[in-house]
Amino acid sequence: MELVSRLSISIQKTHFIVVILAIGGFLVVPLSAQDKDYTEGEKLFVLKVKPLLKKKCVSCHNDEDLKGDLVLTSREGMILGGESSDEVLIPGDGENSLMYVATTWTLENFEMPPKEADKMTEQQSWLIRDWINTGAPWPSEEDEVIIKEKYAEGVIVQTSGGLDDDWTYRRYEEKNLWAYQPVADPSVPTKSKRGHPVDAFIDDKLYDIGLNPAQLADRRTLIRRATFDLIGLPPTSEEVNAFLRDRSSDEKAFAKVVDRLLEDHRYGEQWGRHWLDVVRYADSAGFSNDYERPSAWRYRDYVIRSFNQDKPFNQFIVEQVAGDEADPSNPDALIATGFLRMGPWEHTGMSVARITRQQFLDDVTDSVGQVFLSHPLQCARCHDHRFDPIPTKDYYRIQAVFASTHFADREVPFQDNETLVGLEEKVVMEKRLGYFEDMRNRLNEKSREALKAWCEKNGYEYGTRMELLDRGVPEDDLPRNIGLTLEEIGIRKVGAKNVNRGEFEMKKFEPYVLSVYSGLEPEKPQRSGSMLPMPAAMVKGEAGQTHILTGGDPFGYGEEVSPGVLSALPESSDTLQKNEYNSIPESVEGRRLAFAKWLASAKNTLVPRSMVNRIWHYHFGQGIVDTPNNFGAMGGKPSHPELLDFLASRFIESSWSVKEMHRLIITSKAYRRSTEYKHRDRLAEKDPNGISYAVFKPRRLSAEELRDSMLYVSGELSETMGGLPAMPEINQDVATQPRQVMGSFASSYEPARTPEGRNRRSVYVKKIRGLRNPFLEVFNQPSPDESCEARQASNVTPQAFSLFNGEDTLYRSIGTAIDLLEKNKSRKRVVEDLFMRAYGRKPDRTDVRLSLEHWEKMEERHGTLEFPVREFVKEVQRTAIEEMSGEEFSFTEVLFGFDDYVADPGMADVEIETRALAELCLVVFNSNEFVYVY
Amino acid sequence: MNKKLKQDILRNMASAKQLNRRDIIYSMGASLGSVALASILPSRLSGSSAQTGPLALKEPHYAPKAKNVIFLMMEGGPSHIDTFDPKPHLNQIHLQKFTRGGENKSAMESGARYYVESPWKASQVGQSGAWMTEKWVHLADVADDICFYRGCQAESVNHPTALFHMNTGNRFGGDPAMGSWVTYGLGSENQDLPGFIVLPEVSYPQGGSPNWGSGFLPAHYQGTPLRPQGSPILDLQPPPGVTPEHQRENLNLLSRFNHDHLKEHPWQDDLQARISNYELAFRMQMQVPGILDINQEEEKTKELYGIGTDETEVFGRKLLLARRLIEKGVRFIQVYSGGWDSHDFLERAHGSRITSIDKPMAGLIKDLKARGMFDETLIIWCGEFGRSPDNGIRDGGTTYGRDHNPLAMPMWLAGGGVAGGTTVGATDEIGAEAVDVVHPIRDVHVTLLHLLGLDDNRLTYFSGGRFKQLSQFGGNVIPELLS
Repeated sequence: MELVSRLSISIQKTHFIVVILAIGGFLVVPLSAQDKDYTEGEKLFVLKVKPLLKKKCVSCHNDEDLKGDLVLTSREGMILGGESSDEVLIPGDGENSLMYVATTWTLENFEMPPKEADKMTEQQSWLIRDWINTGAPWPSEEDEVIIKEKYAEGVIVQTSGGLDDDWTYRRYEEKNLWAYQPVADPSVPTKSKRGHPVDAFIDDKLYDIGLNPAQLADRRTLIRRATFDLIGLPPTSEEVNAFLRDRSSDEKAFAKVVDRLLEDHRYGEQWGRHWLDVVRYADSAGFSNDYERPSAWRYRDYVIRSFNQDKPFNQFIVEQVAGDEADPSNPDALIATGFLRMGPWEHTGMSVARITRQQFLDDVTDSVGQVFLSHPLQCARCHDHRFDPIPTKDYYRIQAVFASTHFADREVPFQDNETLVGLEEKVVMEKRLGYFEDMRNRLNEKSREALKAWCEKNGYEYGTRMELLDRGVPEDDLPRNIGLTLEEIGIRKVGAKNVNRGEFEMKKFEPYVLSVYSGLEPEKPQRSGSMLPMPAAMVKGEAGQTHILTGGDPFGYGEEVSPGVLSALPESSDTLQKNEYNSIPESVEGRRLAFAKWLASAKNTLVPRSMVNRIWHYHFGQGIVDTPNNFGAMGGKPSHPELLDFLASRFIESSWSVKEMHRLIITSKAYRRSTEYKHRDRLAEKDPNGISYAVFKPRRLSAEELRDSMLYVSGELSETMGGLPAMPEINQDVATQPRQVMGSFASSYEPARTPEGRNRRSVYVKKIRGLRNPFLEVFNQPSPDESCEARQASNVTPQAFSLFNGEDTLYRSIGTAIDLLEKNKSRKRVVEDLFMRAYGRKPDRTDVRLSLEHWEKMEERHGTLEFPVREFVKEVQRTAIEEMSGEEFSFTEVLFGFDDYVADPGMADVEIETRALAELCLVVFNSNEFVYVY
Repeated sequence: MNKKLKQDILRNMASAKQLNRRDIIYSMGASLGSVALASILPSRLSGSSAQTGPLALKEPHYAPKAKNVIFLMMEGGPSHIDTFDPKPHLNQIHLQKFTRGGENKSAMESGARYYVESPWKASQVGQSGAWMTEKWVHLADVADDICFYRGCQAESVNHPTALFHMNTGNRFGGDPAMGSWVTYGLGSENQDLPGFIVLPEVSYPQGGSPNWGSGFLPAHYQGTPLRPQGSPILDLQPPPGVTPEHQRENLNLLSRFNHDHLKEHPWQDDLQARISNYELAFRMQMQVPGILDINQEEEKTKELYGIGTDETEVFGRKLLLARRLIEKGVRFIQVYSGGWDSHDFLERAHGSRITSIDKPMAGLIKDLKARGMFDETLIIWCGEFGRSPDNGIRDGGTTYGRDHNPLAMPMWLAGGGVAGGTTVGATDEIGAEAVDVVHPIRDVHVTLLHLLGLDDNRLTYFSGGRFKQLSQFGGNVIPELLS
């Protein structure tokens, strides 16, 4: 689409027409030729007051609802008034008309509309008052049409059409449509004559608001910032020193650092993690059973791999949305489709199949919207979107793209680029499985004997229960669970359920991928907790018809729709002009591929902007648009729209290279600025919302960065990439916390047997929806149920408990102390090394003195302290109330992982000197300087 | 902090668009020294501590009828038919068979079915003549203080979705829990304890901790479970071997390092907030165990709650602790009782569950009344749905049970603002479906907020592109439940 001309004609002081002539997305609104004169009051009513009443008042005060006996759909109704007043409308006297007064919320018990979020602004209230003051005219419907055509503000957006004409032809404020405009390629401003294009845009604005930028950060600060940013870990002292000693210019020396970091494999671990936040990665399915997803980890590694490879982002999109259709012989493309199955989902005997299917469809539709289009689409599930040009029809057209998508756990051999670490867990899982098999089999045997006896007594030949039923033994005569006490019934069920669960979870050692196929609806609903094979033969035929579901009700079949795309985007309306870009085939196969190509096209105005904004957001802690998942009317507006478009067009030009985007952004002065600013008052005054980039904003480490950094400082962090979900130690109370799953308990959390298996980077830590890692959770790792566009960095007391009292910090402190003493000759050197590792700087004299004093003081104290040798819980007694009988029963769960567990050294295992030094390390890990990046 | 910046921050907060800005507010409060200097664990509001910070007291929208909530959640779905809504007609059709099916039914509800009578007789109790089955021995004493509600309907037939719905208003989870909304709306009287505390069973309910999560609300409002086994709050105590004096020395050095660091970045409020947090944590560590120690209570109080008797020990302790926490100024307590999912062996299963809560609940009401706290506390009792009048074909004999039923469920309310001594609404002849004063769960949520002086339509938070609220899209107060 191209904006041919934009014509603003000022007609009156307050009313002007914005006419947008457009080819494609926007409807052409011709000037009406009629010349009847209308009064200000009439125009005010039609253009402002009536829509306001519709939005704020008439949903309650209408002919049917009659809240307060008041009807506001006609002038007569207003004059008639309601139960509390007949002075609702006094034509000519706005100030005393209740319908104005109520909107001002100044009269107690007459605050209207009652919902605070709906409360009118002062300006909106005044519109009502002003209209009443002009005598409250109410033009005829014909006049209304003409007035709208002649004088209405805003633009109509052509879409596939709303549920009613009012929505279809409603007008949007132009400022809210920015994201649907084609990505411009703005020229770089030259006002400030700076070298870097990003700075040119930023400095241009700084110049306009009269603010000088902060000085550039010193090299020491900068390398810590960039290293955490790009690889999620602190720089080593060698890296810091090399950068400090580099004699090239600041720009060149820093560019070298950036190049090195972008080539570091740990880059993919850090930036892949950001993407996993957005797609809600988890290793389990949530809800009642919270089954593990045996092969989800292969998708996680695919994401990390893709970032490291700098896979073109448009290819990354196509693989995730339609890899199976685009390139079925490419293992990575199949693994990528795990994206479509990331949401929580479950179907059991207690679920209604239509509802769980719809749950998937709703989830994937909204998820594609948030992740790629920066538009939460769920708002349009039940009604046309309240604020954005997204009709319900589009929601279901996009949903129809996935109507032929079904789950499949495909067999895809492990590739050379995949790591298979974590296999040691298999031994433990086998032991556990055997244990529960015994538990079940023993009681099955007992029941079988009892059944034999029963058959003998009642004159039947022995057979299993099913066989006896088949032979016509009346069900009412045949006792169930024969020979078992109520307690044994409970225990047998625990055994059986855990065997099923264990067998399913063992699939993670086999080469399956969490994937999908395009085909017809399977005859039986796909159930959770079992592997879902590809259909034996792909049945050809029609995919199920998609309907608009009225009010979002899974059984409320409305109008039929065909698969399609978001019609408000340029060239995307197939009703206006059908072409290859905007049309999705009706066939069973190929729907997702066509949709993915539309997403990944340079013509799509949302997708490239969305991604460059996310990249910017992670670099600066805030987006150019501050709501990375929402570019609609209720989202933020770009603080630097031209910069956003500049980046988006460079992104497309550089073949959607994410690494090129990093280079472009991170080498700017805006990124390299100090967090310090001399004139804070002036900064606050000129840039109250903190969007000028005059100064860099410090941030708290994320949960993963915090854990990884402690491991890195202690020298314990495993370098291994990828593989089965890693299981670090977690708080033992949480690890053995009973978790109810349908009819049983999930097994305890058992950490990996060896330090190598536990001390993996946090991105690899197993993410169970119903059993979050308590350390990561308390430091704001988001819940994997909703797409996370931006992390919180809250400051709550449990964080102090976790970091100060928790075992994570304790063992990292001991590990650090051991390593420091091994590598350094003198105590002073130890302290220097600790500061370098943790803070990236040398300690000053006070630091050294305080540290050494503390070490000594603690040494003295530790001389009198006894630390118990660490003991692990190897058996857990589970007591349950049998859901069927209400009887309490108990069984023992054995934690086989602790059979030959290699523990991290604890306080009892090390010398007093080491213990005392560990106390110092603990303090350092808790300190603000460690936890914040500047 | 300069005045302009403060105004700007406050303005940003009003727009409630960004969580990190809220955190700035918290740290601002903290930097005024209020959190750090608050007297140690005041049992009630003390001075400035309640005026700043995330749990600062806020004005309700209108005069509240109750200040605190004790929400008793019967996980698994208690039967209305066998508790407070008896159905004698089932005695006549007991074991009559029929079949059910259809696209909107789960496998559990479909196929051959038969009707099941209640194993217990029911009678009217108290002056008000409330109906109860004979299993309720103690609750009958306080029936006139209770409003029994028979009209609530859930929308989901499956545990985790129904439980999420009752707890958060959203069947799929991820939204803030009731207690989070209430603490967000009103703050809490005690700044040194969480405003929303959960007393779960040893095994967490289906769906896990998202049942008390804060969703899109800031993390300060999330429910804190007091774990019945192990440390009540995770990492509340230092590892074994570490003494408080020893820890105090570490804390002193930490404070020194942090203050040195603060000098270099004096404008960054987060740093001060974090320093204060450590002091608060240290105080909590010393004080919380005492608060949780119910042995400080008199013997006769413990007896009132059924403590000392096996069947009622567990729930009795929880309810007594709930009362202690309310006294300390905690705003919202949710107490779980599990094991109500009686598909079989109804008499045994529901029987033991009812006995386990009967005396403790009666004890709680009596105790609150004796202490003059009843009128300012709202008690709600319910599960995530009710149970069906029919069951799938299983064994027969003593194994009769009931399946899930979202269309009818038991519920009662008591305390501040509640129409005690009434029974509101009705279900049909067999208890299959609510037919009178029928309301969805969201109306119960709206009513709960209303009793606390909060208007659901005004208690909103901007997230994901719109103002969200507990009822999701608005609802109605159920006037019949109000005194």
